[in-house]
Amino acid sequence: MAEFSWDIRSPLERALVSGAYGAPGDAGVALTEIRNFDLVQVMARRGKAAEMSKAAKGRFDVAAPETPKVARTADATLIWSGPDQFFVLSKGGKHGIGALGQAFAQSASLSDQSHARVLISVSGTKARAMLAKLSSIDLHPDVFAIGAAAATSMDHTSVTLWRSADRDGLAVFSVLVFATFAESLWHTMLDSAAEYGLAINHSEDL
Amino acid sequence: MAGVQTNRLDSGGLIDRSAPLNFRFDGKSFSGFQGDTLASALVANGVKLVGRSFKYHRPRGILTAGSEEPNALVELRTGARREPNTKATTAELYEGLEAASQNRWPSLRHDVMSVNQLFAPIFVAGFYYKTFMWPAKFWEAIYEPAIRRAAGLGRAAGVADPDHYDKAWAHCDVLIAGSGPAGLAAALAAGRSGARVILCEEDFTLGGRLLSDGGMIDGLPAAEWLVRTQAELAAMPDVRIMTRTTLFGVYDGGTYGALERVNDHLPSAPEHQVRQRLWRVVAKRCVVAAGALERPIVFAGNDTPGVMMASAMRTYVGRYAAVPAKRVALFTNNEDGWRTVETTLAAGLQIAAVIDARPDVSPAHRSLASKNGFTVLHGSVSGVDGGKDGVRKIAVSLTGGARAEVEADGLAVSGGWNPAVGLTSYHRGRPKWRDDIAAFVPDGAPPGMVAAGAANGDFGLGACLSQGFAAGAAAAHDTGHGGEAGTAPVADDEAFALTPLWHVAGKGKAFVDYQHDVTASDIELAQREGFESVEHLKRYTTLGMATDQGKTSNVAGLAIMAAVSGRSIPETGTTIYRPPYVPVAIGAFAGHHRDETFHATRLTPSHHWAAEQGAVFVDTGLWKRAQWYPRAGEKDWLESVTREVTAVRGGVGFCDVSTLGKIDVHGPDAGAFLDRVYINTFSNLAVGKARYGLMLREDGIVYDDGTTSRLAEDHYFLTTTTAKAGLVMQHLEFCRQVLFPELDVQLTSVSDQWAQFSIAGPKTRDLLKEIVDPAEDLSNEGFPFMAAREVALRGGIRARLFRISFSGEMAFEISVPARYGEAMARNLMLAGKQFGVTPYGTEALGVMRVEKGHIAGPELSGTTTAADLGLGKMMSTKKDFIGRVMAGREALVAPDRQVVVGIRPTDRARRLRSGAHIIPKGQTPGPGNDQGYVTSVCFSPTSDQWIGLALVEHGRERIGEIVHAHDPIRGEDYDVELCNPVFYDPDGGRQRG
Repeated sequence: MAEFSWDIRSPLERALVSGAYGAPGDAGVALTEIRNFDLVQVMARRGKAAEMSKAAKGRFDVAAPETPKVARTADATLIWSGPDQFFVLSKGGKHGIGALGQAFAQSASLSDQSHARVLISVSGTKARAMLAKLSSIDLHPDVFAIGAAAATSMDHTSVTLWRSADRDGLAVFSVLVFATFAESLWHTMLDSAAEYGLAINHSEDL
Repeated sequence: MAGVQTNRLDSGGLIDRSAPLNFRFDGKSFSGFQGDTLASALVANGVKLVGRSFKYHRPRGILTAGSEEPNALVELRTGARREPNTKATTAELYEGLEAASQNRWPSLRHDVMSVNQLFAPIFVAGFYYKTFMWPAKFWEAIYEPAIRRAAGLGRAAGVADPDHYDKAWAHCDVLIAGSGPAGLAAALAAGRSGARVILCEEDFTLGGRLLSDGGMIDGLPAAEWLVRTQAELAAMPDVRIMTRTTLFGVYDGGTYGALERVNDHLPSAPEHQVRQRLWRVVAKRCVVAAGALERPIVFAGNDTPGVMMASAMRTYVGRYAAVPAKRVALFTNNEDGWRTVETTLAAGLQIAAVIDARPDVSPAHRSLASKNGFTVLHGSVSGVDGGKDGVRKIAVSLTGGARAEVEADGLAVSGGWNPAVGLTSYHRGRPKWRDDIAAFVPDGAPPGMVAAGAANGDFGLGACLSQGFAAGAAAAHDTGHGGEAGTAPVADDEAFALTPLWHVAGKGKAFVDYQHDVTASDIELAQREGFESVEHLKRYTTLGMATDQGKTSNVAGLAIMAAVSGRSIPETGTTIYRPPYVPVAIGAFAGHHRDETFHATRLTPSHHWAAEQGAVFVDTGLWKRAQWYPRAGEKDWLESVTREVTAVRGGVGFCDVSTLGKIDVHGPDAGAFLDRVYINTFSNLAVGKARYGLMLREDGIVYDDGTTSRLAEDHYFLTTTTAKAGLVMQHLEFCRQVLFPELDVQLTSVSDQWAQFSIAGPKTRDLLKEIVDPAEDLSNEGFPFMAAREVALRGGIRARLFRISFSGEMAFEISVPARYGEAMARNLMLAGKQFGVTPYGTEALGVMRVEKGHIAGPELSGTTTAADLGLGKMMSTKKDFIGRVMAGREALVAPDRQVVVGIRPTDRARRLRSGAHIIPKGQTPGPGNDQGYVTSVCFSPTSDQWIGLALVEHGRERIGEIVHAHDPIRGEDYDVELCNPVFYDPDGGRQRG
């Protein structure tokens, strides 16, 4: 009897080549794919938004965002995804669909999206310049502060975009894109950032 | 190194003499300097003749120094980068630049087509409409190609553009168009107030007319003020200065279009860089400081090379230290024109005479004339003696009737200034007439926009600065920025004092629109023939319709029309202003979206595995799907597809069907919700079961179909067709939110969450037993047809297994989280190796569904009812559902509707093709007896012949009838037999086995 191995493969496994790309010199843009995360869509049942919020507060000790924002805890990020709904982004199964079922049993419907999205982190001195080619969202620091989120589109592809905590004094943007569109958007990102020089990587750390 | 620049001044100008640049024009080598445009470099080399006119092939020189240039159009660059109709006046010089003149043969100096001038009397307004009316078919075949060869502009490269373009968004509080004194003052005020500012300047240097005309600002020479101002703006982090960027349009909601010529000033864009970038700017306020354009006066010979706008002559002499003429005559109707005299004299050049059309000239100018030994003539230029080598002599009609002649090699003309009213008028605004400057000025503007300075009709330097500053401060204030703006820069206002003059009568052609060769007499003729409306005048004469959009000609044309029709200019009115302000390359609008990246693509979870197997992919919507998997030695697709079908029917195969839309339907009312969106009932579906469902549109026509499974009491898993995945999700969300808000149901797209494979063929269960945990019961009893449940797989993951069949075989669909998709494909190959497992593509999938008589896209065509598709019995009579009432309309239940039947050719060897029409046998095809058409065809390996599905009137009652298939597109006619659409295993034993 054959031995079956079930290797996880990111949709970007082949397209992503770690290292430098585009213009030589100091990379203006760093693109990092974050792999192997848990992502659960939480949608309030009819008339249960308040209960869902309470359940979220009980589970995560932060309020679920009710406007386009993200809320972070030590081990989870709650991302607004529409009225009365949000994503729970986490790692290691602690807040995966199996673990969350109990907490939201009375108030929300859950849908596992862990494999349905690819998460790309965009940073660097030219991150905003590059994202301006893809997104109609105003990313000026006064307008799109840390924790701001948007359900929007890039290159005609639906994405969830938010601003994570700064790293080394520079803004970090997170892009969740549908998995089957990911390679296409990835190439568009490379094209858009090539003139600034890219540092490409992947990571398991949220 | 090319020769000396014969017409370059020894000093002065904003050129970098330490950076000489070589270039070629019409194959001849020249040199210029960094900071030159192609036009200024040609001027510096004494080149006067730069092109031939559109219709008459008249020799033409450089008229202006900006983007309004109608004459000096060249083909810039060579090969694939050849760009026709490029204005020499805005093309920056770079090392190795190559340009060629246009619309001449065999050479610019000896142009055969200039014979057109001899026939000029017949090339009048409306000439083409009048002359080539008959016979009509000659137009496309003979007249148009011939005219296009003779008349026209540059040649397109004819091959794909090798450069890259991109698009970007920008956001600001205050957007400023133009960096002349008004624009810079606006930027200072808005920036100091704390607003986010974007300033767009189409030139490569900031300053606008300050670069050519100088002046004193805040007690400083303009050049010094410019340096100081630029430094102050550069120090403001939220002020963004964009040079080489033209603001070309304004759209809804404060969105503006701008084109940045990122690398047009280089031979080609450096690696990884784009040539041009299209900006969509979202601005809360916009200050239009786009300045004004000096306008020509229409007189005979006004297109002779060497006749130039007075302000352009100042620009060439002052900014570029290039000499258009050594002995200059000036023809002006206003005070501003006289500034050219000062610039010319300061450069050590000669003034031959000033011809001033006004009744009087100021004492200061009189003394300037006597001091410098030139005459001032009261009158108008009525003719120009000269040709392709330039101006030689100028004929003057003096006030009072006498005539005079002036010898000069250049004629500067100033007819006044027209504010650039384009941007303010792009939302159907009509500018208003101002008598004191005899020009149109903005009358209102799109929301959030205001004009300032010359663009608003206030030409003085002091007025430009104060108006721009006030506009910038107000815009900042309106957007919530109240920082200390300081005081406005101060300067004096120059005199303008204009007496309108549009057209001087005289012998010879007097051009209004240089680029389209429209003369004053064309306008007079148009008026005589009744084309008095400006919109008719424009279309009939083509006035203002060239690539320059009439920037130098429209107002003069209106004025002449007004004069001949006895109306005032404001009564005559203006044509509608439309963007773009300057031509924008299609490449810039396309940006990244061309060729392979024309649109985003979607890849299935097993895509790269399929590519490794050598799959041929087909574009289906955004998807790339494996169409078939060719093997060595197979001569064509049909052989590969036939092998795949045979392998499935005789053994086992699998196909990635992840492209189907997949939707989680959650909530206590999920079943009730599905009952309303499907024609059949789902609330009574048992957990662990799947059911085929059909949806209608509100109008009763079939919308989509698919299999939906109940995974839990409050959780259904709904699938859609690939084509309608997104639309059905939208439709269901609409139903949920708008039609049935009382239902407690939640929808989530999980299309990308699951990799789903169809496994089909008599050995499917054998294969599955290899890969599914042995504890799972896959027997007919343990896992009957239409069962659906989660199972454990060997190796530790779980999958959803659905016993459903599209192929008519014993089949399952298996789905795993998408990142296991590639592993699943490999493991299916491994598990099925001993059974000869065969991956199959969409073609084999299609063949098997046609053999089984299943409907798909061609039958779900947006015109068919459930009954047409043979599914009428699915329509529940016990509940309401979307489309129920409208499906009962008379025409939708008419007995003669075209319904799905099978067809097979009476000649077994014949190939079928979709689209052929069905008519009764023995009749002549025509609309009267057209009874339907062929929707889907395939070569059926099982039947060993071509078979198909068709929509045919009364089809089900005509099984066995021989009808005629008529295919006028392919010129084919043949007989086919109408038959049961289920060609394969009609009683369904195989899929239940």
